[in-house]
Amino acid sequence: MSFSTFVTDTAGLQKMFEAIISKHETYAPVEKFGKFDYKKVSSLKECNPDSPIDATMSVKPLFFPRASKIIKYEASSAGTSIHETDEDPIAGKRVILGVKHCDARGLQVLEAVNKWDYIDSDFLKRRANTVIFSTRCDKADTQCFCTSLDYDVENLDAMDVAIINGPDGRIYLCARTEKGENFLTQNPAPGSRNPEPIAQEEMKKQYETFAASFRLKMDYKDVNEKMSKRFDSPAFEEASRNCVSCNTCAFICPTCHCFKISDEKIRDTGLRYKSYDSCNNAYFTLEAGGHNPRPAKYRRWRQRSMHKFVYYKERFGVNLCVGCGHCAISCPVNISIFEVVNHVANAPVES
Amino acid sequence: MEALLVPSLAKVERIIQETPDVRTYRLKFKDDSLMEKFSWHPGQFVEFSLLGSGECTFCISSSVTRKGYFDCSIKKAGIVTADIHTDLEEGDDVGIRGPYGNWFPTDDIKGKNLLFVGGGIGLAPLRSLIQYAIDNRSDYKDFTILYGARTSADLCYKEEIEEWKKNTGIRVVLTIDKPEDTWKENVGVVPKILEEVVKPEIANTKVITCGPPIMIKYTLQSLDRLGFSPEHVITTLEMKMQCGLGKCGRCNIGSTYICKDGPVFTYAQLKALPDEF
Ligand SMILES: Cc1cc2nc3c(=O)[nH]c(=O)nc-3n(C[C@H](O)[C@H](O)[C@H](O)COP(=O)(O)OP(=O)(O)OC[C@H]3O[C@@H](n4cnc5c(N)ncnc54)[C@H](O)[C@@H]3O)c2cc1C
Ligand code: SF4
Ligand code: SF4
Ligand code: FES
Repeated sequence: MSFSTFVTDTAGLQKMFEAIISKHETYAPVEKFGKFDYKKVSSLKECNPDSPIDATMSVKPLFFPRASKIIKYEASSAGTSIHETDEDPIAGKRVILGVKHCDARGLQVLEAVNKWDYIDSDFLKRRANTVIFSTRCDKADTQCFCTSLDYDVENLDAMDVAIINGPDGRIYLCARTEKGENFLTQNPAPGSRNPEPIAQEEMKKQYETFAASFRLKMDYKDVNEKMSKRFDSPAFEEASRNCVSCNTCAFICPTCHCFKISDEKIRDTGLRYKSYDSCNNAYFTLEAGGHNPRPAKYRRWRQRSMHKFVYYKERFGVNLCVGCGHCAISCPVNISIFEVVNHVANAPVES
Repeated sequence: MEALLVPSLAKVERIIQETPDVRTYRLKFKDDSLMEKFSWHPGQFVEFSLLGSGECTFCISSSVTRKGYFDCSIKKAGIVTADIHTDLEEGDDVGIRGPYGNWFPTDDIKGKNLLFVGGGIGLAPLRSLIQYAIDNRSDYKDFTILYGARTSADLCYKEEIEEWKKNTGIRVVLTIDKPEDTWKENVGVVPKILEEVVKPEIANTKVITCGPPIMIKYTLQSLDRLGFSPEHVITTLEMKMQCGLGKCGRCNIGSTYICKDGPVFTYAQLKALPDEF
């Protein structure tokens, strides 16, 4: 199916965003202490859809909350009862502005685990109810490597509407899904029009300039293949030695999806939560009785990087890392998954 | 709401003290229609919760052929299991999700001799299959049940084992680690008794084994030595789990989800996994 592209300019885009915010439940990056996190907004002034990639948190928590309530229960002499928790506050129809391409791709990659076998309808419903507007970056940040991974940049099907800057102040609004197409038709940018066929050419050029701005590049298929042969490589230990197991890398990652289930009890009532966890946690696989299949830090880092670059792909056909670079930006000891996987891939094979 | 993770309430009908640190909890869903619909295969597990304390993974230790209830046999091992032992009484409610996971290949093993090798609480998943096979006796040939524990007090299902012994075509071999005054059966670790006392027939035999990691390790070596091919040896893994349904990542070994692709594996399948269990 082919989708429409419209052309507008900065003023038209601003007006469209304002109209969207006034009519729809809208989320966008909001600045706090120099970082941008996605919040519900009521005016364009509050937010910054063009927030810088390196300072913007992932949009993932709007689909997979950092902590969500599973149940509330009450116990009394009359017996125990389980109650559904308050209506999911993020399940309604909504629009998100300013999602980075890599981050939107992260949601797409996460769909696989959420819809194999048991279906996580909460996750899928949140995505289905959301129209994602995504602005393609003009320039890579120092830790970005999204263009090295397996995303079809021509197709751009991870977002509903892709916004691409053309030359001379032209801005292209490209519907990328049926949902995006319908939304753009119903909420057009004032004064926007279907562009002349030249648009494709210009967008391609923009992409080439963008792709040329990357400091980090890898042949990820080669890395996939080489890593799968280096499970026993000491390179994992070398690459992860400095890690302090703080789990920051997992908590900010757009594709990490490990979670834990925990109870909180206050007298005879209690709540059960689903919240983020990470395979970098020493206790992640620690069993009652003390046995731990991944007792050493390098084993946990091996799991983290192999899951991203080998296992998920083996299982679901897509790479789990989307190359956003956020783990490297946030790590207190400067560990970068890009360096880890390249270090391992280029290490000698253990015999 | 996280619809996938919401448990249903079940009532503890009976508690049986099996050993000083293992109790069997006989459970029944509070909703009768749910109990009626609830069906499982030997080897499958549930996520069991003591509300307010937490959720744990336990296999269902009884067989679906015994209607109207299901058992979980629980060893006191950590925080939640200690709370279960301390707080949970007959008549109390617990949360249950499941059944989850794959199961013992009840069809593939039809017409075979079955050799069960269990250690400690590891008899729990085997018991589900033993009951199932007893209730479908004509589908299977001879059974041998080798069961060991540290001391005689640590043997689970003592009364039921006496019942098993009365069945024709079931040979029960018990062992404990060290001699005890009143103990008349075998003394020695499971793999040793397997090789020296049981001396199993290999042809047309399927082995089903579960127990503590160390027992499993040496039992698998013994089975190798005895000449069993790894395809005919079936075991069940106890990786730490959380969701039980292929979402939380906790149980993964390589690209395998132990909670979905397992917990039941043949020894041949285990050998192909990365060494992370
Ligand atoms: C498929 C399967 C079947 C099992 N069947 C039985 C059984 O029939 N009887 C029995 O006594 N035990 C069984 N276990 C082990 C049992 O799940 C753990 O002993 C129990 O979860 C320990 O919980 P805890 O809170 O007391 O321990 P803690 O160490 O305090 O654990 C905290 C949490 O970690 C998880 N966890 C810890 N250890 C394990 C473990 N070994 N396996 C899975 N999750 C773990 C649980 O979610 C637990 O709530 C089984 C495990 C698996 C995976
Ligand atoms: S592993 Fe790092 S670079 Fe890859 S998607 Fe996660 S945060 Fe981004
Ligand atoms: S952010 Fe850095 S130090 Fe923290 S767990 Fe990740 S790699 Fe280790
Ligand atoms: S226990 Fe959650 S994925 Fe297996």
